[in-house]
Amino acid sequence: MPLLRVQTQAPREVDLLTTYDAVVVGSGAAGGMAAHVLTSRGLKVLLLEAGRKLDIDSELKSMEWPYDHPRRGSIPPTHHALSAKEYTIRQPPYAADSPYEKVYSYVQGWGGSDYSKNIVVDEKEHPYSGTSYAWVRARCLGGKTNIWGRLALRLSDYDFKAKTHDGYGEDWPIAYADIAPYYDRVDRYLGISGVRENLPHLPDSIYQRPTRLNAAEVKLRDAIGRMGRVLTPYRAGVTTDGLKHNKYRTRCFGRGACSRRAGGCDIHAAFDSPTGLIYPAMDTGNLTLRTNATAHAVTVDPVTGRARGVAFIDTETRKTYEVNAKVIVLAASTLESARLMLLSKSAAHPAGIGNSSGHVGHNFCEHVMGPSVYGLVKDLVAKPRTLDDGRPGGFYVARFRNLDTRQPDFIRGYGFEGGSGTGMFPDNAYSTAGFGSSFKKQVRDRAGAFISMGGFGEVLARYEHSVGIDPELKDRWGIPVLRFDYRFTDNEKKMCADMTATGREMFEAAGIEVLSADSDMLAEGWSIHELGTARMGADPKTSVLNGFQQSHDVKNLFVVDGSSHVSASCQNPTWTIMALAWRSCDYLADQMRQGAFS
Amino acid sequence: MSDASDLTRRDALKAAVGTVVASQVTALRAAAAAPALRFFTAEEFALADVLCELLIPADEHSPGARAAGAARYIDGRLAEAFTDEPRTTWRTGLELLDALARREQGRRFVDVAAPQQIVLLERLAANEQKPVSAEDRFFVELKRRTVHAYYTSRVGIHDELEYKGNVMLEEFVGTDVSGDR
Repeated sequence: MPLLRVQTQAPREVDLLTTYDAVVVGSGAAGGMAAHVLTSRGLKVLLLEAGRKLDIDSELKSMEWPYDHPRRGSIPPTHHALSAKEYTIRQPPYAADSPYEKVYSYVQGWGGSDYSKNIVVDEKEHPYSGTSYAWVRARCLGGKTNIWGRLALRLSDYDFKAKTHDGYGEDWPIAYADIAPYYDRVDRYLGISGVRENLPHLPDSIYQRPTRLNAAEVKLRDAIGRMGRVLTPYRAGVTTDGLKHNKYRTRCFGRGACSRRAGGCDIHAAFDSPTGLIYPAMDTGNLTLRTNATAHAVTVDPVTGRARGVAFIDTETRKTYEVNAKVIVLAASTLESARLMLLSKSAAHPAGIGNSSGHVGHNFCEHVMGPSVYGLVKDLVAKPRTLDDGRPGGFYVARFRNLDTRQPDFIRGYGFEGGSGTGMFPDNAYSTAGFGSSFKKQVRDRAGAFISMGGFGEVLARYEHSVGIDPELKDRWGIPVLRFDYRFTDNEKKMCADMTATGREMFEAAGIEVLSADSDMLAEGWSIHELGTARMGADPKTSVLNGFQQSHDVKNLFVVDGSSHVSASCQNPTWTIMALAWRSCDYLADQMRQGAFS
Repeated sequence: MSDASDLTRRDALKAAVGTVVASQVTALRAAAAAPALRFFTAEEFALADVLCELLIPADEHSPGARAAGAARYIDGRLAEAFTDEPRTTWRTGLELLDALARREQGRRFVDVAAPQQIVLLERLAANEQKPVSAEDRFFVELKRRTVHAYYTSRVGIHDELEYKGNVMLEEFVGTDVSGDR
């Protein structure tokens, strides 16, 4: 039920004869931010998006009741969402030989989601190969920001200078002080909700009004506070007070829809790239948007070796085009930007554009998930029903490992996301034994008395963890696809064992009865936080980009998405992706003004 | 899918005005009056309906699975299922329960008196964590589908669980009012 519907401008046609100031490839968090920053600096920008522009509000239907949907929210029976097991017992391509009409990644399985089936890709059209990997892709205007988890965290110098701290990997070529002003800008422009905690390892944002913790969460916060650990209300990339400068978004009205299905917000209180960044950019008059445009190569001037433009294929007509620009900004997502660079081979760049170091596709990292605890708060059993899910999220437990002390068997850290209270569906019903009136009563009495949390841990960036181009397999449009060579290793396994132990320990400290403490890792890719593959660095021999996400090799090529990250940190990446993209595009615009790309 | 949608809405409406009542005879009659079944035979539906209601019965707190239209909803999902596997599971499972009733009580399950029906199900429920027999395994499937159908229904969400969310709020709820510290 959208509160407002503001018409956006009719999209303009791409002018293939003009040379744009910049072509941005991809319209998610990074590409949207590039479009916003560059158009507001007066550059003429063409934004290419591989997917469609969806009528997103009619897709999401955030407040539809299950019983008003013919299948209670599930996808059609001829469609299939991959299960956790399919990712572990099989190798990609997962949809090969599937009898189903369409196959989606696991994210479609959350609550059975008819509401996001058009947002994520059909795996049949977009195969990949190699090692097991749960790769979730959203090809539509705004990409994954349409359904992201909304946890909006900052990184700190514990992350940017992690090598200095523990000797592993590489430091980033920037420090927190470099990016802090841009985090501030992202906070103010897009809106974020949370509580200040003054933690050096989890810097505060400029917060709008926070959501509240419920009784079980307060109990856990107080107990782990005595252990020196910090539980804070979910830091949500959601505007809770509204944004006067953005007519496309509404403040949060606590409808609770964000924890159901695959997320998404049809009043756009939660940040998404189209309403947060792209529509305002179109209003400047400086942005041309071309959807259904899959970029398959960065073209190169054979004389200078510099980037000349982007070749793309229309996903519907299959016609190919080439468009020219002074600067090329890749923001196609960590893995798609790497794919595009590797595909862009030329005499000047035989290993792919910007890849003289051989590091494109390497140092691939992310977050590991799986370990979780689930418990019962006994004094909440049989209490009158409360409203607990009118919030964009529950809570976050900040990293506490390997800060001032050292763990003997693993490096880096992890945080927990969690929540408690009554949701629309009582998950305990499936696990409650028996039947009849006593079963009903037990389900009802306990439905609001559970609390759970799951860890997100840093996976170390390793050169040998990589993606490359499969020599044979192609997507529906004939474009060669990625082959994965990536597995969790010992540090992740030991970290996960520790997550389970500390999760249990914290629940027990709070007097919460632990019903289960899982230690299994979910499949690689499950966190949907792919990072690395075109890392920044000071040394052009061991990195792809400089500290402004500018190619060491090709000065008019920028890669402003998560592929530029040097290490994964354990904090969710979206806010950092946008702060970095803002900083780099500011630099790009400054350089252009000085004539650097003429 | 519009026919399925209409079907569900009509069921929900009917549940809301309480026209579906407890006895299996009435249930059969209601089935005959309701839109055509899509997978179950009338007899299978009557048995499924009795089983769903035994699992989640009407009581002093709220209506049960019958009023929630659980068996009707399951019928629709089975009819649409992409493979035959769940249809076979249900057809065979319902036969197994009837056979069990004939063995133990000498009559069809729906003709067994309610207290004895419960006794029969309790034997299957005892093994639900570790199902042994085919009957045990069908009980797990029966319960899984009934739970889903019931707690996603109008009756399950509003009458039974008294769910308070999915509304527009002025202020966030919660007990922690410390705000920004």
